[in-house]
Amino acid sequence: MTRPVAFSLKPNKTGTGTRLGAVAAGCLALLLSVPAVFAEESPERAKDPAYGWVLYNYHQGEAFEALTLLDVARERGGIRGHGDYPELVEGGLMLSYGMTREARELFIRLLEDEYGRSRVTLAPDVRSQAWFYLGKVFYLEGDYHLAYENLQRVDSEVLEEADSELHAEWLYLRAQLAMISEEFSDSAGGYETLIKSLKHSGPWAHYLNYNLAMADIAADDFTAAQQSLQELISVMDAESPNDDLISEHGALRDQSRLSLARLYLRDGKFDEALTLLGAMPLDGVFSDRGLFDYAVAAAGQGEMQRALDALNALSQRDLFLPWREQVPYARGYVLEQMDKPREALQAFTLAAEHYENRGEELVADKQALTEENLMARLNFHRDNDEIVTDSYGRLRVTPADFGLSEVLATEPFQQALGELNELYRMQALLAQREQQLGTFETMLETRRVQRARRSQEAGIELEQQQPDEWIEAQKAFRADIEAALAEEDAEFFMTTEQKALKARLGKVAATLAQLPDDQRTARQRKKYQRMKAYFDWSVANDYGVNRWAAQKQLRELSSEMEQLQTQRSDIEQLMAGDSEHEELASRLANNAAEVQSLKVQVDEALAQARNILISRLDNAREQQSSELRRYRVASRHAQARLADQLFRAGKSTEAAND
Amino acid sequence: MTDSQKTLVAGLLAAFMLFMSGSLFAETDPAEDSKAVAERVQDLKKKVIRLNRDLFILEEDLLFPASTQFVVFLSVDAGKFLQLDAVKLKVNGDIVASHLYTERQVTALERGGMQRLYIGNLKTGTHEVTAFVEGIGPNNRAYKQAATVSFEKGTDTAALEIRIEDRSSDYQPMVSIVEWE
Repeated sequence: MTRPVAFSLKPNKTGTGTRLGAVAAGCLALLLSVPAVFAEESPERAKDPAYGWVLYNYHQGEAFEALTLLDVARERGGIRGHGDYPELVEGGLMLSYGMTREARELFIRLLEDEYGRSRVTLAPDVRSQAWFYLGKVFYLEGDYHLAYENLQRVDSEVLEEADSELHAEWLYLRAQLAMISEEFSDSAGGYETLIKSLKHSGPWAHYLNYNLAMADIAADDFTAAQQSLQELISVMDAESPNDDLISEHGALRDQSRLSLARLYLRDGKFDEALTLLGAMPLDGVFSDRGLFDYAVAAAGQGEMQRALDALNALSQRDLFLPWREQVPYARGYVLEQMDKPREALQAFTLAAEHYENRGEELVADKQALTEENLMARLNFHRDNDEIVTDSYGRLRVTPADFGLSEVLATEPFQQALGELNELYRMQALLAQREQQLGTFETMLETRRVQRARRSQEAGIELEQQQPDEWIEAQKAFRADIEAALAEEDAEFFMTTEQKALKARLGKVAATLAQLPDDQRTARQRKKYQRMKAYFDWSVANDYGVNRWAAQKQLRELSSEMEQLQTQRSDIEQLMAGDSEHEELASRLANNAAEVQSLKVQVDEALAQARNILISRLDNAREQQSSELRRYRVASRHAQARLADQLFRAGKSTEAAND
Repeated sequence: MTDSQKTLVAGLLAAFMLFMSGSLFAETDPAEDSKAVAERVQDLKKKVIRLNRDLFILEEDLLFPASTQFVVFLSVDAGKFLQLDAVKLKVNGDIVASHLYTERQVTALERGGMQRLYIGNLKTGTHEVTAFVEGIGPNNRAYKQAATVSFEKGTDTAALEIRIEDRSSDYQPMVSIVEWE
């Protein structure tokens, strides 16, 4: 709900109207259901867990978390399988989170191209509802141009068929806009046409008629205002509202009676005023104001005792409300008119003291006015430590100090309060994120140190394996093989067995060379020649096989050496630096800088919001002070006049006695 | 009406009309400075969301790199036969997550939301995941059911979903674990 009932019952206070306040709770549900309505055509089950997770947060009213998750999903390539629906959900979330301008851009992009066609296939009623909510949010923000622009996009027939209540509200908002300025008035008949359309729309029509009567008063057309209010009261008297509308209906009827009674008083129609005010309930929101006006009417009728009784009853009220400040002065005045100068003098003395004290309190209040003591005078409705807000981001708050009630009920004050709360939430979030970044930094640093240690250990191990010597040996081996290949050196490729045989043959040849040249030696030399020839033949025969085996070995060795080289280079590269770590560290540093920058911006905005809030209260206090001064001066004057009168009367009596 | 009465009425009317006009016609449009703050707050909200996104991604990259990341979601399809109360999750025999649901969370699940029940790291290879679901089942009776699945963790992020569905054949809830590709 936008405001507590007691403070929302001023239909034209901000141009927003009680009705908006009263139905805000309903709108919360409707607004939250906008994306759900959009999603009606979407698959029942999320086709992408990221989207399911967004919906989980969204349906819990966690707009900030859901918007973050949508942004995360977009950064990671988007949500699959749901087309443009996630963006529609995002639009609804933005409205809930108070990012109205972003939401407007998104809706326009999605729902209307240059030819007025929708980019996504949506039921016409859903589309109209989206424009309606967007327009309504801008209206509440006081941005009437954007409100008008978006409300104009609504298809009247479609909305009426889909939701008659919403349609009535739409007509009401358009009529309100038309009342604000002619540029928001449709060419066909202006708000009169809208009123005719609203005629049978219950509360909305009543609020609009009431506001029109107030506009007549503002334009000094008191006759028209009286007539409108009389008609409104008679229509409302004849109605029997539903249970959930009884209190709202009664409050508006009382407000209308009160306004009409004041018009009667203005014209000196005290009888009519008394009849009207006498019909007001004693326990209603406006009963006190009614009682005061009753005193005025009774005084007008010459029934001073009734007037005094009413004022005395009002004087007994404990709660302080600014308008009641007139009661002490009025009491003195009535007593004076009743020809009770002593009592009147006493009443004026008390009134002057009261205004004096109250004035001092206000001055002290003004001097000591800080955000802290302002907040201490407000009762915020909380749910798990979170301040409860309505669907438009306004806080649910009631004043602990009833002197604040009027200023608290104003839309700008509510907005400023809501913004201050949002900024504090951001400040808390940033502090939390700063702490989180500190943890990340520690984590990254620990990881870097561990990595450096592991790299160092790997480096030492690598050095112990003497890779350079192995590389040199491999190079030499390759060169030898390539040379032997070029020369077709079969002996180079001999197997180990062949090499052993060759050595033995060499030994035999050396022994034979030392033997005497006899027949036995000649036989042995022949045998040696045969063996040598066979050996040479077998070496030549095995050359191809042996060469292939050697080349295979060389290839394997080369591959191993390449792997060794790669590993070595990787380790050396890792030891020299860590790109992943650097990338994470750079992101961390950027985010830390962003947090700091945002903290400064939030602090500045906080100071600005705080000043606005305090100055609004300050202005209200100033207005009260000035009114109190007037009453104090009037009371003092009356006091002096009566004292003088009594003094003279006393003297005359003494003279007569003498 | 006597002159004094007229004076009184005029005096009192002047007094209350002052208040009436103050309360009924104080049509205060939001001042320009308020508008500026409102726009500034909107701009800040956008920036804070972006920062939150960056930190969210950074946190995952830092703590749960894609090569080892393992995520478990939970969803409820309709929820007509089970009023979800609590869930426990075991990975390779160890309880890694447990959750007690609020009414608001259950409603969010029933409307199509998916809860990220757990995020952690797992090595490549075969792993066993078991989910224990508790709540109030048909006929208002306490209901417990478990589901187990073995799955192969590769070098990409592994995502599982615990699905609680309504089984119309016997009007009972059904718990299963499915793997997201």
